[in-house]
Amino acid sequence: MKTIWDLFLAFLRASNFAFGGGASAIPLVKREVVTKYQWLTNDEFANYLAIANSLPAPILTKLAGMIGFKVKGWLGALVAILGAILPTTLIVVALGGLILKYAQSPALEAMLKGVRPVVAVLLLQTAIEIGKDSLTHKATWLLGIAALLIMFFWPIIHPAFLVLASMLLGYILFRKKNQ
Amino acid sequence: MADLWNLFIAFLRASNLGFGGGPAIIPLIQAEAVDRYHWLTNAQFADVIAVTNALPGPIGTKIAAYIGYQVASWPGVIVALIATIMPTVLLLIFLGTLLSKYANSQALQAMLTGVKPIITALLLIVAYQMAVDAFHITQALDYITIVIAAAAAVALYFFKIHPSILILSSLVLGYFIF
Repeated sequence: MKTIWDLFLAFLRASNFAFGGGASAIPLVKREVVTKYQWLTNDEFANYLAIANSLPAPILTKLAGMIGFKVKGWLGALVAILGAILPTTLIVVALGGLILKYAQSPALEAMLKGVRPVVAVLLLQTAIEIGKDSLTHKATWLLGIAALLIMFFWPIIHPAFLVLASMLLGYILFRKKNQ
Repeated sequence: MADLWNLFIAFLRASNLGFGGGPAIIPLIQAEAVDRYHWLTNAQFADVIAVTNALPGPIGTKIAAYIGYQVASWPGVIVALIATIMPTVLLLIFLGTLLSKYANSQALQAMLTGVKPIITALLLIVAYQMAVDAFHITQALDYITIVIAAAAAVALYFFKIHPSILILSSLVLGYFIF
């Protein structure tokens, strides 16, 4: 029961402090599930992120479903997803037309302008932490740099394709070394 | 009943063809809700986007909840949300189970070794895109965004301040400065 409640709280916090779009939740989810509750290791989190990123739909509910299920089965998945979406769902339904009036208010834009630099720093920090576990030798550095160049110069190539291609490459490159 | 079915189909299509997170989903939802089913006008849709962008959390589920409620009250909210998140969550739970089951398999380990550098690169790109938005300098006052970022980095690395506190204080700071 305690774990169910923790799952709810973890995703409630991660989701409702995530301003500036779906990806801004990633550092906060990592903080909850890796640092605070230790449901996943840094390495497992990177794996989950990889798989979740290869499919469509919002990243946060995908992570909530996967991590919730790992920790406490179907109930865990449901509770984690509810934690992620319940408050904002209630807000948009209850306030409906009322919040539309404030949609374009300068005060709101000012607050978002203040928070964006922080979100950028948090994302960078997450990239560094995941990178420490991922870039373990020359070949992985090469893969990472190649992916970075491709995503930067050919944004038309979808990340899901890179994820799949790199799994195949990994299978070919790294399997023999381990034997 | 027809409304509920239409909501389900609309959000199923929009969310599950929307590779690339929120920004990729928005035009697809617009095509369904405005162009196809006429639930909202373009101007109303623009307002909904502005509101949902200002609230925290995933953008797709907020738009689904708002439009679902406007079209078919609470059943509409539930149907639109389920269509948005359920298919990929089920698939991922299945994949996650496979991942745990074969955690010791050399083949899987090799694949994951290959994919993790790509996730690192992906996060760097997302951070870069956020930075481009964050440090959009049009007036002298905008240089403060760089100061905020530097302060956040110092607070995070040297003082281990919790991210939520940084986020809250930067919202307040933004309100007073900009």
